[in-house]
Amino acid sequence: MSFIGGSASFTRYRIIDEPPKSLWPEIPDRLKKFPFTDIDNLPEERAWGWVCFDNMIDTEWRTAPPEKAHYIAFSFRLDTRRVPPAVFKKHFTIALEEEERRNKQEGRKFVGKDRKRELRDLVKSKLMTRFLPIPATFDVAWNTEKNIVYFDCTRQKVCDMFLEHFTQTFDLHLEPLTPYFLALNILGTEAQHRIDAAEPTSFV
Amino acid sequence: MDPYLGQTQDIMLGQEFLTWLWYTCEKTNGLFKVRDGQDIAVHVERRVSVQGGEGENLETATVSGAMSELRETKLGLAMGKKVTRALLRIERDVETWQTTLKAEDFTFGGFRTPPIEAGKDEGDDPDAKFLEKIFLIERALDFLDDIYKRFLELRLGPKWTAEVKDIKVWMVKG
Repeated sequence: MSFIGGSASFTRYRIIDEPPKSLWPEIPDRLKKFPFTDIDNLPEERAWGWVCFDNMIDTEWRTAPPEKAHYIAFSFRLDTRRVPPAVFKKHFTIALEEEERRNKQEGRKFVGKDRKRELRDLVKSKLMTRFLPIPATFDVAWNTEKNIVYFDCTRQKVCDMFLEHFTQTFDLHLEPLTPYFLALNILGTEAQHRIDAAEPTSFV
Repeated sequence: MDPYLGQTQDIMLGQEFLTWLWYTCEKTNGLFKVRDGQDIAVHVERRVSVQGGEGENLETATVSGAMSELRETKLGLAMGKKVTRALLRIERDVETWQTTLKAEDFTFGGFRTPPIEAGKDEGDDPDAKFLEKIFLIERALDFLDDIYKRFLELRLGPKWTAEVKDIKVWMVKG
């Protein structure tokens, strides 16, 4: 996904806190402090962090700096390792049959619930290392004049991960510009009472 | 996201805004005057999703067809269904933007801007493409914010009751 591509699906946020002036020169270093870390050779299921806007494998911002006029642009990279369900099912069946055989030899009849769960986890982590993580990047464009941030994603889970990582990196909190917050932003907090008190309209 | 203050208002404002926008676009041929006196046209395109019922009986219908189907959808609104998302086309002079706006959270789907010109020549600033694209995105968002502001002023003011009457007539007329 990308802002520069043909079409983008994105969420708009407002930075709640006024960023301190001292933050601006620190931005590149802060991004580098919370970069994406590759898990190709690690048995991890998921990894995320910042990468260069112009190059998803650049976590040093050698390709281009994040500052673009009055915008700061970078990307949130999220790699996820997935075991295809059919592959998991096959290997879990093999593991279960082996366990049942062993149990029979030892005079036990069933494989308990807890042991089944253990087997499931064991099979999953064993298979996990055999699949490469799938990389995904989501662009971030931060308008430093308006303190608005555009995040190139609308999936709630990914948005939540992004929000947490953003706050961790910059000590700033983001508010999604949903109909309610956008209304407050446009009309000002003096209109909050009227917005809160509005009852749904019946068109019937 | 955890529940937050204003979440119920989000759904209400978003759905009513899209309903009002659909009605207003048809009434005025989509013509709006926005910031700095600019004239733009907004069209609610053929793709509209409506939702009715609650809990297990929740039903969503997406219409992406002929005008006759849109008329049926409008009748659905008169029976209590709500607009949950709509495909919008915004025009200003020869420029066209398109996006699907989701009522409950105002996220933008499939946002298309007019074609960008920057970055075609070798000598162009490497950031020119990004800057032109984000400029175009923000321009359309400013337009939409202006229209939303107009809706809010009407919605939270004394003229809303009269507007609702007109919207009801429009719904039934199909």
